[in-house]
Amino acid sequence: MIRLRFPTVPASVTPRPALPQALRWDAPPVTAAALLSRRQFLAAAGVVLAAAALPWTGVRRAVAAARGRFFTGHERRTLGALCDRIIPPDGDPGGAALGAARYIEGLLTALDRSRRRVYAGGPYSGRQPFGDPRDGTPSRRRPRNAFRRFLPLSRLQEIAWRAELFGSAGVPEMAAIDASLGSVKEGLRDKYRAALAKVDQVSRATSGARFVDLDPAGQDVVLLLLDQGAFAPDPRRNGDTWPTLLVRHTLEGCFGPPEYGGNRKGAGWRTIGYEGDSQPLGYAIYSAAIDDYVERPDHPLSTPDPDEIGPGGTIVPNPLPPDAQRIQSSILTLTAPFGGGGLC
Amino acid sequence: MPPRSRADGLVLGNRSLSRFDVCIVGSGAGGSTAAWILAAAGLDVCVLESGPLTYQHLDDPKREPLALHSNDEIKYGVRGFIDQLAAVEPRTFRQHDGQDARVHGDVNVLPKLVGGAFGHADCAVPRFAPVDFRLKSAVEELIAATPGLAVPGFGADAASARFADWPISYDDLEPYYAEVEAVYGVHGTTGDNPFAPRRSTPYPLPPGKGMYLGHVLSDGARRTSFLGEPLHPHVYPSAIATRPYDGRPACVECGQCAGYGCPSNAKGSPAVTTLRRALLSGHCQLRAEAHVTGLTANGRVVTGVDYVDADGRRQRVEPGVVILAASPVESARLCLLSGDLGNSSGQVGRNLMFHLQTNANGFLPNRVHGHRGHAVSHGLTDFRGIEPGGETLRVFSTPDGPRLYLGGICEFVAPQWQVITEDGYVYATELPPGFGARSGLALKNAMRGAPLGQHLLGIIMQAEDAPQATNRVDLDPTVRDVFGLPVPRITYAIHEFERQARLFYTPFLRRVIENAGAPQSFVNPCEGLTGDPPTSRHVLGTLRMGADPATSVTDADGRFHDLDNLYACDGSVFTTGSGYNPTLTILAVAARIAHRLAGTAPGAA
Repeated sequence: MIRLRFPTVPASVTPRPALPQALRWDAPPVTAAALLSRRQFLAAAGVVLAAAALPWTGVRRAVAAARGRFFTGHERRTLGALCDRIIPPDGDPGGAALGAARYIEGLLTALDRSRRRVYAGGPYSGRQPFGDPRDGTPSRRRPRNAFRRFLPLSRLQEIAWRAELFGSAGVPEMAAIDASLGSVKEGLRDKYRAALAKVDQVSRATSGARFVDLDPAGQDVVLLLLDQGAFAPDPRRNGDTWPTLLVRHTLEGCFGPPEYGGNRKGAGWRTIGYEGDSQPLGYAIYSAAIDDYVERPDHPLSTPDPDEIGPGGTIVPNPLPPDAQRIQSSILTLTAPFGGGGLC
Repeated sequence: MPPRSRADGLVLGNRSLSRFDVCIVGSGAGGSTAAWILAAAGLDVCVLESGPLTYQHLDDPKREPLALHSNDEIKYGVRGFIDQLAAVEPRTFRQHDGQDARVHGDVNVLPKLVGGAFGHADCAVPRFAPVDFRLKSAVEELIAATPGLAVPGFGADAASARFADWPISYDDLEPYYAEVEAVYGVHGTTGDNPFAPRRSTPYPLPPGKGMYLGHVLSDGARRTSFLGEPLHPHVYPSAIATRPYDGRPACVECGQCAGYGCPSNAKGSPAVTTLRRALLSGHCQLRAEAHVTGLTANGRVVTGVDYVDADGRRQRVEPGVVILAASPVESARLCLLSGDLGNSSGQVGRNLMFHLQTNANGFLPNRVHGHRGHAVSHGLTDFRGIEPGGETLRVFSTPDGPRLYLGGICEFVAPQWQVITEDGYVYATELPPGFGARSGLALKNAMRGAPLGQHLLGIIMQAEDAPQATNRVDLDPTVRDVFGLPVPRITYAIHEFERQARLFYTPFLRRVIENAGAPQSFVNPCEGLTGDPPTSRHVLGTLRMGADPATSVTDADGRFHDLDNLYACDGSVFTTGSGYNPTLTILAVAARIAHRLAGTAPGAA
């Protein structure tokens, strides 16, 4: 495992469209008249602002829609459209078709049932068979899918996840931490509800239509604007803004195990050529017959991938896509000043 | 009949025990090893573990334990299933006294669960070298014999560091190394590493096939000259079963290894080895999700251990002996939370060591497929700065005069192709704006090409930290955790001693990367530059062992100088940190402490 670090650099020199000052998270307080129009706008967008501002209560839980659902239809469509701009459809499915929005809704409702849906079970998903320990070949025996049976949370995990999803203000055990830090942690549910309203606010103010009504090119422009100061850094989440959380959640929803609601039928993994969870087969099977390991010829452990071996055993690398090459060049550029090892 | 509480369901082993000879705080590498040896000697042991239980049938003699671990990146890398969660147990960090410490999401935090952190990585278990246990004497002897030899932290600069010899030698520890290698099931190759220390027994298991990237970097190392001869790559000793062993299956080299728990129990986690043996002995009771909040003492005697159980209720154990094994940060914090217990020397929490890691990398044009294999199969020890056999230090001739450079063992590594956290997050959220791929087809195509996940490879070199009194854990004056207790505040800065080693070895690390086939190499910027704490997961010191009660906290048997019945048996007792993955030495030191407490010999359990 390698954890790369990058120096902070001045803001990109690439010209970007600027977010109007009034739409910044730190814009001066709005006047009463402006607030009214904003409220009217939000109501029109199907968002009940007052409800969103309330702490989670038993009453509200009772009147909430069916379990496992959190978003309104419009919110869900908006979120799907956003996921589709982060991982767009091309020859392969995009974020929406992969179920990234469903994954996010699953995250936000993970504590709605008595069986918490935060950590999938183990040890095996059943996507791979057992190896046959007699001769080191894949067997026909397959474990059942234990990922589907989510695990109960420990006491501390329950407290941490309640604060993460519903906010720390409603979690009595968080009071000492909050008091010592002088802040409360905003819940992801409130964060998403407010952020999706803000997306339409920015979209209407800059493009004249709701986000879902823009074409993909128009949506890309709004998505860029959302990163230009529309959202406050969250001090209780390492200073991350909501767009950063959204991008992370979208990646999780596209490329995580399907049991969490995204990566529909493993299509996300197929898109990037990832083999998925490999247990219990793995990549080297112990054989009692030879008292040694046998590798899988198509998925070797100790030798190069077969599609990159040329005549005479030479390595013939597959070309790297330009977008991937650019990442490598970026990293070489960013780390160049540290190459001597002396800066420490 | 009232419903059974959650806490009752988290009591394992002999549930009928209620009076205990020994209470061990923490079920990790040190605590479980001690529990196994003490229970085998017939002592009744209570193990209190703050973390959750991630196994079924762990105390069932009729069935093998069923791991609830899995190849699941959301569960581990994203949602922190085995992590100490910063949201409820924050820590604060600063580099120097006088600075305000800030809450930081990862102050070199270790996984927290039944069985501890050992199973979190690749279970890499090299031994320390003989000279490590008498480092201070060895350096001073060399300085006296070598005109012009200058070493930071020694001679005129001695006040800047707290080097000391261990109160035990390699020979004292060797039988315990052999014992723990057998019980945890270590694989390795004898004779492929000239710097490895002498050993009384062969490795219990042979190595596996080795990862492709391990072979590529080994070839690169053999093509790299150091002091006029080629480097000596070797199999990396690991406590991972490469054959069916003691009821555990052979590892299948699944690849989701570092940062994950093992689904098959091929990894020698203390949970499925020593702790399980203790639980099956009839003399041990484990209480999971039992978070110790403090100890009480009367004079030189610890009288009780207070904890909060899985139902949030306050509970108390009153054993004959208490052993701290909660990891150096938490073990020291417990002393400080308990009225400065054991701290007449003022040394509790001090001399915290993290191992300065240097990480040189490159991009291989073809795929490295680091998602196949147990994370680290090969490495080298040439950069530890010792002579072959490890009895003496190596003196380097430089243009500035003779020098010592105590780097450390090197791991040959690559990403495990964790597609979300090692690829997607980096491209979209960690690279600075304009350097990555925030969204769109640029991001999707980068995911397809996996420029990191399938092409990055690297070497991680450990380096010995100079022990410093100012590098320490104390109690944060303001920040509280979920139990309402002051959180650990870590103060940690790098010393010139390890900085010079990093500077000296970096060009050679880069040469190995380039000789392995990467067109260019680069060095990962040091954490210290961004004001962040190290992420080495090697956490040592804070309750250091020594003969002198004025300068150390515990004696050669792990017992506190100030108390008759309080011991420590985790990485906290390390006098110096050496330059190797520390866990095998934690296991061996814990085994020695437990045997001497029980009056048994290695091999008796």
